[in-house]
Order: sequence, then structure tokens, then C-alpha cells
Amino acid sequence: MLDIRNLSKRFGRGESAVTALHEVSFSIKEGEFFTLLGPSGCGKTTLLRMIAGFEPPSGGALVLDGQDIAHTPPNRRPVNTVFQNYALFPHMTVAENVGFALGALGKRQAEIDETVGRMLDLVQLGHLAHRKSGELSGGQQQRVALARALAPKPRILLLDEPLSALDMKLRKEMQVELKRLQRETGLTFIFVTHDQEEALTMSDRIAVMSGGRFQQIAEPRDLYDQPANRFVAGFIGETNFLDGRCEGGQLILPEAEAPVPAAHDDGPVTVMVRPERVVLGAAQPGALVLQAKVEQLVYFGTDTHVHMALANGNTLVARVQNADQSDAACREGETIPVSLPGGALRLLPQEAA
Amino acid sequence: MGRSSEDHARVADTRRRWALASPALAIITLFSILPLLVVVVYSFLSPGDFGGVHWKLSFEGWFSVLFERDIFDDTVSLSDAHLTILTRSVVLSLATTVITLFLGVPTAWFIATRPQKQRAFWLLLITIPFWTNLLVRTIAVQEMIRSDGVFNRIMLGLGLIDEPIQMMFTNFALLVGMAYVFLPLMVLPVYSAIERFDFRLAEAGYDLYASRLYCLRRVILPMVRPGVIAGSILVFIPSLGAYVTPRIMGGGKSMMLGNLIEMQFGQGRNWPLGAALSLTLTALVLVALIWYSRLTGGGSRRD
Amino acid sequence: MTDKRFDVRRLPAAATLAITCFVILYIPMVILVANSFNSGKVIGDWDGVSLRWYAAALQNDAFISAGITSLILASCAALVATTTATMAALATTRTRGFKGEGTIHLVLNEPLMVPEIVLAIALVIILAQVRQFTGYNGLGYLIIAHSAFCIPFAYMPIRARLEGMDLTLETAAADLYAGRFYTFRKVTLPLLAPGILAGFALAFVVSLDDVVISDFLKAPGQDTLPTYLMGQLRRNLTSEIYAISSLLLLISVLIVVGAWLLTRKKT
Repeated sequence: MLDIRNLSKRFGRGESAVTALHEVSFSIKEGEFFTLLGPSGCGKTTLLRMIAGFEPPSGGALVLDGQDIAHTPPNRRPVNTVFQNYALFPHMTVAENVGFALGALGKRQAEIDETVGRMLDLVQLGHLAHRKSGELSGGQQQRVALARALAPKPRILLLDEPLSALDMKLRKEMQVELKRLQRETGLTFIFVTHDQEEALTMSDRIAVMSGGRFQQIAEPRDLYDQPANRFVAGFIGETNFLDGRCEGGQLILPEAEAPVPAAHDDGPVTVMVRPERVVLGAAQPGALVLQAKVEQLVYFGTDTHVHMALANGNTLVARVQNADQSDAACREGETIPVSLPGGALRLLPQEAA
Repeated sequence: MGRSSEDHARVADTRRRWALASPALAIITLFSILPLLVVVVYSFLSPGDFGGVHWKLSFEGWFSVLFERDIFDDTVSLSDAHLTILTRSVVLSLATTVITLFLGVPTAWFIATRPQKQRAFWLLLITIPFWTNLLVRTIAVQEMIRSDGVFNRIMLGLGLIDEPIQMMFTNFALLVGMAYVFLPLMVLPVYSAIERFDFRLAEAGYDLYASRLYCLRRVILPMVRPGVIAGSILVFIPSLGAYVTPRIMGGGKSMMLGNLIEMQFGQGRNWPLGAALSLTLTALVLVALIWYSRLTGGGSRRD
Repeated sequence: MTDKRFDVRRLPAAATLAITCFVILYIPMVILVANSFNSGKVIGDWDGVSLRWYAAALQNDAFISAGITSLILASCAALVATTTATMAALATTRTRGFKGEGTIHLVLNEPLMVPEIVLAIALVIILAQVRQFTGYNGLGYLIIAHSAFCIPFAYMPIRARLEGMDLTLETAAADLYAGRFYTFRKVTLPLLAPGILAGFALAFVVSLDDVVISDFLKAPGQDTLPTYLMGQLRRNLTSEIYAISSLLLLISVLIVVGAWLLTRKKT
């Protein structure tokens, strides 16, 4: 439904121009929960503001339902935003906030009242309809902002880090709530966040952004298991990186005792392995086996992180479930063999760090 | 009646606070409130023969604010002269407020939407006239429209008129003078309201399909309304009580309430009437102030 | 700009009206100053640039003495107003409410609510009696009268500063064995200084600008700059009046630009 083609954005002119977004292209499907994920300054908010209509693109097209809306003003786009600070109108009641768009569209009062009632029920705030928006708690304001953006039935709902102002507990609740709302309404959501956990739990697809470019667009599981590059691997979840090289279908790691087979072109590679896939001990056949010195055990309740140093000074972290290995398989200071199973290894092209 | 030590402390604190405030209170009481009370008393006395008052109760002063008695047959009629001046004061003050709103609000908007670095400069351009002596500014605007002034010289020079247009000492001159003099008073409070306005709210409005006009009416204006009202009050009240500008621009022909009051205190004039007129002016100002505090402080919604 | 930005800060015609507003504000002042440099006798008949009217003003004893009176009056009034307003501000802030708080506020703001001309008339009436009774006819009346209407102006910034001040600093001082007076002198007063300075400046300018009250209350020989100017206006419009007005304008410009530069350096 939404096709973004070679969209780019530069701020300023001439020498001092800054490119906030390099030419990006992607499509979003009807009813999808699509997340733009990246560190601050990666261009995700600029992209969102371009979709909303607050920033004109420097180039490219924004095609919604077959129509290029790249230069349509925001008040003529069937796209609504839940703002980061909610931007509720402080001089209006909750009901007036939610009914604002319908009023602007010139709907009859009876119709507005009916829709407002339905929206407030949807976000479970019917009882607060006549409060001023300033008198609400953070979570309630969040719901009002949602109801307000949903009321005019947009084609796409844009959410700009909507949960960042909430505390941890409320945030988890709202994540579930948002997902429920999206399923119930069947609406397309474009969600901006810098929180990878939030992105992983809620999204159908995630676009990881950095430096004004897309690093990878994938479903959460693929993003975690098969990151396209070192940035994505490092940004999503915790990761160990080891430098090695491929030769004749063999992966050679300087620290490892023996090479393992690998389907990769010859040359230097970065080996990525998630801490929970690292196995203490040398049991696994077909695994890379390393010798590591246990430096520190960090207890996390459900699991323990084992920080280890390899012979060449590199570090390796393993995450060990406490349920099955209650007596930690190692002690600080001792040197133990560690296995990296073949299936857990992901080879990435080496880049300058 | 046993008092707790907490009560004692509170009483001591209150006493200390009153003591600290007392010099300021004393000065204001002696040199502002007390004189005003004397004016109240004077307004109920009879006029003296050579100015001043006779200590005899009379309501003639208050009566004369709006009415006059025929010298020969004592018939009572509305005082045209006073009524004209009263109406002129109110109407011209309202007109001044409207003109300064028309120019001041866009100016405040313009300044508030400049990039942060430029804003201080534009504000400076408003603060200079704001802090320049009222008399000096009145002299400056007088030069523009007096018979020998800039406007007439240019028009004569261009051959558009054959003789100078007489603009001084008319309602028009008064209005030009007051609007010019009070314009900076409008810009500053409106500016600070717009400056505090969170433009993300306007963005939210446009995101929700509001047209420019709808957004202005429903989102922006309600939010900057306190500043606009404060600016209007800051212009309206000094306009109503203006003395210097009407004196220079209006002369004896186009008087305002302030000039009428002053006249009553000259030699052989009617002091009780002057006192009553003074209190009328003060009452008008208080009405405007009460209206203002109800509009802003009440917090009640209109619709 | 090639970008057709949908700018939420744009208001059609605002820039045009704003520029119009600035032009309207400044053209009369520029013309006033220009006329003051005219060497000719008739205002508006240009006869070359000269400083003769400034020279005339500076040799005019009445003008010089008015200037000195203005300076003394404004300094004394601002000093009295700032001192009493500081005390009043200390009395009315940082409290959970006390008996008579509302009354104090009302009294402190009363001078702002009464039109200047009314206050002037009222003072004339009452001071006529006092003058007869005491025989004193000096500048004291004007100083106290000016102090009275300057107090609210001095009070505002001092109070604002006090309310924004961090109470814990004084608590910390008390914790470090500082007595009440020591704390006030070493902690409260230095922190309050910018507010007091702003209050003094405000009171000074307000006193300097006053025409009406000075004009009504002055005894012979007590002309201030504005009342002197007002007196000259009652006669004839001369180039010298324009030179004096330009000097007053220059003082305002210097004060405002000076304050602007000072605050700009800090940020």
C-alpha cells in the first residue's frame, strides 16, 4: 500500500548540507506493524516526518495507494501521528481532543460524538471524556493520543517513540495494548523506536537504520538470527565478534584448535555468535573449540553471564541458564574449553570497525 | 487558651513578614492610597470660590459628571461636553487597542518565529521604543502629521495638495499618537505567549486534517489568548487614562478624560467635579482589570 | 528554496505587517533625530548638518539643571523603591500563606491600578496642605511620590528571582552553622543580586520617564527633563527641543542596547 522510492532528505545547502536520509526504498503491506529501529540521529524520525508531511523530501516518491503524496500537505494525507510528547491540546477536554480531526473535516456533531465514544471505549478511557488533557497521567495521555490519531480512520498510523516517556511497567502494558489495538483495527502501523526489545516484541517487520541508510529490513527472528552486517548484529541483542578467515571452504579462527567447514568465499570474515549459543565444555562435534579463561561471573537471576578472555586477549561472553546448570560449570580464574556449535556461527564480511 | 509552640511560631512569622513589608506599604499608603481617599472625600464636597473646596456635603460633583443644570431655569439635561469626552476616551482607547492588535500580533508572531539567534535583535527593536520617553515619542509622531510636518511637506512637494491638511488637534491625531505610543506595549506580552507556544501542537493540528484557519482558530489562538488579552489590557488602560499624548496631539480641542480632570483643578475651577471625574476614570480602569482577571484567572470555559 | 516546506510557523502576511510595524515605529524617531541636526532655524527646512542645537542645549542652564534634578530624583527614588521592594519581596515569598498576604499584594500593586493623572491630582491636593503645614518645599515630596509608583516595578523582578531561587541552598548554609543574618548576607543576597539590579534599573527608568506626576508636583526650580521639555512644548516647537528629545532617545538606546549586550554575552 505504501511504496517509498528513492526517498532522500538533505538539510541545508552547499557545503554545510547534511544528508539525513540517503535514497531509501521499501514497501509496507496493508495491515503490517512496521518498525523503524535505530539509534538517535539515524534518520528514522526524519523519515517518519516525511511520511506525515512535515518535511518535504529532497528527492524520491512516497506512493500511497497508487498516488504520490510526497508533496501533499499533512492536513490532506490520510495518515495520522501519535507524537512522542503526545502533543495533546491542553485547552481541550479528552473528548474534544479525540474529536478534533472530525471537527476539522466538518463532520456533524452527532457523528463526532458517536466516534469519540467508540474510540474512548477502544482505549478504555470512556470515564475520562470530560477531563482536561493536562489532568491525566502519562499512560492515560498516551491512550488519548492514540484514540485521537485513530478517530479519523487513517490509512496508516505513525507512532513516534510513543512509549519512551513511560516507566518500565507501563511501557510493557502499552506494548501489549498497542499490539491488541493494531490487531483489532487491522490498521497499518509505522512505529519508530530506538529500543530493540520493543521492536522485536511488537513488529511484523523491522527496518534497522543507521547513518541515514537502511541496514536491513527483516522479520524480528531473521534479524536476530541472520543479521546482515556487524551493525545490525551489534544493535540487536548481545553478540560476540571474533575475527577469522575462510580458505577453501574452511573457517580458520586463530584461537580455535581446529577449523570447521564453512560455506563462504575465501577471505577475512567476522564471526558472530550469540552468548546463549556458546557452550561451556568441549562436547559438541563439528564445533569450534577454544580455550578461555573465566574472568567474571555475573549473576542475572534466570541466567549467569560468563565473561571470558581468549588467548589473544579478545573477550567472549557466554550466557548460561541457571535452571539446568545450577552449580556453575566453572569458577573464576580457571581455564576451560568452550564450544561454538557450527549452527550458531554467522559469518559476516569484515569491515573496518 | 493554651497556644501550642507551633501557633506561636506562625504568629511570629506573620509579624516578621508584616514588619519586612511595612516600609513599602507605608510609602504606598501615604503617597498613593491616602491621596486617593482624600479625592473620594473631595468628590462629596462643594466647590470653593477660587478653586479648593467648601467643607459642605454635596453631590453636585458626581451629578455634574454626566448632567448639567441650566443657569437660568435649573432644568437638568445631559452634559454634552462631558459625554463627548467620556465617549471619546472609551472609543479612542478601544480603537487604539484594535489598531495595536492588528499591527502588534503579527509582529509578535514574526519575532517569535525567527531563528533563536535573530530573535533577540528583533526584540531589541521593540524594547528601544518601549523604554524611550513617552513625551519624546509623542514629539516624534507629532512631527509626522503637524501642519508643517513631514506628511504635509511631502504632499505639498509632490503637488498632491495645495495647502497643508490640518490633522493636529483632531480625533485622528489623537488616535495616531496613542497607537504609535502604545504599540510596543502590545507586542511584548503577545510575543512571550507565542514564544511559549509549543509548535508541535500546531503540527498535531495539521496532522489531524485542520486547515490553516481551523488550526489558528482552534489550537493557536486559544493557546496565545492570555498574551493577547494581557496586551490589550496593557494598551487599553493607559490609553483610557492618557494625559500627555492627548494634551500634545489633541490640544484643547480633542480632549480625553485625563485632560478634562486636569482642567477642573485650575484656578477657580470645580474641584469636586474633578475628583468625581478622577474616580470615574479609576472605576473604568478597575472594570477593565476585573474583566481581565476574570478572563484569565477564572479558568472557566466559554463554550 | 526548492523545498516547499509545510511550515507550521508561517502566518500569511505576518512578515509584511511586522516590517510595516517596525517602519512605523522607527521612521518618526529617525526624522526627529535628523531634524535635530538641521542647522537651519525652521524645522524641516534643511540647511545643512550642524550640532548647533546640541551646543545650545548644553549651554542652556535650565536644561542642565533639569538633567541634574532628573538624575538625583531617579537615583533616590529607585534606591528607596528597590530597598523597600526587596524587603517586601522577602516578606511575601517562600511562604505557605500567612495572615494578610492578600492585603499586602493588593497594596503593593495599587499604584499600577490607578491612572497616573488621578494619582497626580490626588497628590497635588494632599501635598498642598502638607506644604503649608510643614513649610518644607524640597525635592523630598517628588522622591517619595516617585518611590511609591516605582515600588511595583522594582518588586516584580525581585520577587520573580526569589521564587525561582533554590531553597535548599539556604538550608545547606544553615546546615553549615551559618546564622540567619550570615546566610542572608552570604547566600541569599548574592543570589538575589541580579533581581535587585533589574528592579533598580526598572525603577530608575520608570522614574526618569515620568511626566505627569513630576509636572503636577514640582515646585519652582524642580523641573526634570520631561517636565522641562513639556514646558518648552507649551511655547514653540524649536530645533532645540528636537535636540533635547534626541538626547533623551540616545539615553534610552544606550541603556537598552547596553543591557542587551550584557545579557547576550552570558548566553
